[in-house]
Amino acid sequence: MLDLKSLAVGYRSAGAPLLSGIEVSADAGDFICILGRNGSGKSTLMRTIAGLQPSLGGVARLGGEDVASMRPGTRARRIAVMLTERAFNPGLRVEDVVALARQPFTGWEGRLGDGDRAAIADAVAVMGIEPFRRRYFNSLSDGERQRVMVARALAQTPRLMILDEITAFLDLPSRVEIMALLRTQAKEKGQVILLSSHDLDLSLQLADSVWLLDGAGGFSVGAPDALSRSGAVGRAFDTDGIRFSPSQGRFEVSTSGPQPPR
Amino acid sequence: MRVRTSSAALIAALAAVSLLTLTYGQIALPLADTLGALTGTQSSDLARQIVLEIRLPRVAAAIIAGGALGMAGVLMQALFRNPVADAWSLGLLAGGQFGVALTVTAAAFAGPAAVSFLTIFEGPSITLAAAAGVAVAAVFMLALGRRVGAITLLVIGLMLGFTSQGLTSVLLHFAARAGGRVYGGWQDASFAAIAPASLPWLLAPIVIGAAAAVATAKPLSSLLLGETYARSLGVRVTSLRHAVLAATVLLVAPVVAFCGPVSFVGLIAPHFARALAGTARILLLLPLAALGGALLAVAGDAIVHAPWEQHFLHLNNILAILGAPVVILILIFSPAVRQWR
Repeated sequence: MLDLKSLAVGYRSAGAPLLSGIEVSADAGDFICILGRNGSGKSTLMRTIAGLQPSLGGVARLGGEDVASMRPGTRARRIAVMLTERAFNPGLRVEDVVALARQPFTGWEGRLGDGDRAAIADAVAVMGIEPFRRRYFNSLSDGERQRVMVARALAQTPRLMILDEITAFLDLPSRVEIMALLRTQAKEKGQVILLSSHDLDLSLQLADSVWLLDGAGGFSVGAPDALSRSGAVGRAFDTDGIRFSPSQGRFEVSTSGPQPPR
Repeated sequence: MRVRTSSAALIAALAAVSLLTLTYGQIALPLADTLGALTGTQSSDLARQIVLEIRLPRVAAAIIAGGALGMAGVLMQALFRNPVADAWSLGLLAGGQFGVALTVTAAAFAGPAAVSFLTIFEGPSITLAAAAGVAVAAVFMLALGRRVGAITLLVIGLMLGFTSQGLTSVLLHFAARAGGRVYGGWQDASFAAIAPASLPWLLAPIVIGAAAAVATAKPLSSLLLGETYARSLGVRVTSLRHAVLAATVLLVAPVVAFCGPVSFVGLIAPHFARALAGTARILLLLPLAALGGALLAVAGDAIVHAPWEQHFLHLNNILAILGAPVVILILIFSPAVRQWR
């Protein structure tokens, strides 16, 4: 359903693209984790696929249509995003935030129909945010806000959901819960979910497929097992201080590395 | 539902206060005479003259201007994502005033022909001059708003307001010396100065501005989430900004031109509207903020024109007493403001 054809992403002003020649496709129901260190181009890649930023070459197609040339309204009905950018909004209540996801589907007044209300109720129930539905979005904790923003993305009933570091403010049980829940959503609704995360363990366990950015322009795709066994995960993340152990599937702190300053 | 109930309550309150200020003043009329004059049935000539020719234009101007400022406040608070934004607090009204002062001064120095041109085409020319000033101030503040926080922007807006009010009074001083005696006493906000013939010039741009506000309401609601989210919801953000700015200028410029720098109404009406509506959806806030702004303006005007022993109270002083404490509460308690620290 999602096809990237020799896609190059980055900022025109920066000269060379961050990533180029990306060839990958994803099927409906795929739960894909994008892994890579800070600055490796995860967010740029996701914004480009979402059509929020022009590509530097190649195309991203969703259901055969070039995302970059879709009409904004059409794109909004097919792709939902959740970004690291803080949503700041005076006077918005939680239910307003979630309801805004239905804007691409409503008329000029933005009046919600039965289908819209059902989608909102569904997303609210799935994310368990019913208890603070009437509260102001600004008064929520970081973790609660992230749940609301995930619910907002779900309520947009997209074919492709792009979620950038959405679990950053959550504790471990909540992270596991939300990622497992998104995986189930992808399967049930036949959506493609692209999720970037710093949670390597969790991503490698839950993803159908991993897109790995090594920070030097390299891009590898594969099943989590294959990528960790081939040493690709290690190449992307190893430093003097930590090493990825393919046999154990986790990082080990290297004792011979540089010592913390005393 | 809440919007309908609140609107009905506000309309009732607005009608009551309007009727009160149409009836009581330096000369108190029997209520029956006021109603008679308004409906065109039996009434004395004196009552008809007082109600229809003196008081009604003033009340109409207050309703129209207050409503326009309330709607403009809703637009600006969403556009700037700033709970203390409004045409007055961010210096748009002062910018408009300065635009008018420049035009009047230029005409005064250009000679009597220019002055009489300005006098004959008073309505459109001062509205246009005000619109230019408002637009320049709005574009400047919008650019600045992307660099500084909400409170800094408020302070800068107020300072710009002081600056351009100072410049306006200096300009008008020289304009008067050059022979243009136009608009000398116009620096203070007042709904009483408008000539009945000018009411259409006040109303027409505001009606267009209100229609534009309604048309931009839905995409503007999604801008509350931030620019990127708005784009992801299919909003063309740049054209939306232009449309909202245009609507704001249409709503605000005629108010500056005919009523002066009316303070606080546009700032606090949106907050009342949000509290009444229980939502931040722009389309629902617009009518409530318009009615709330109109109510506040008429109430302020009623206090100014109550039969006091000595005259005159100034409209902006009354509005400050009503409005400033509300703004202080917003600054202390609004979670949206606290976030910016």
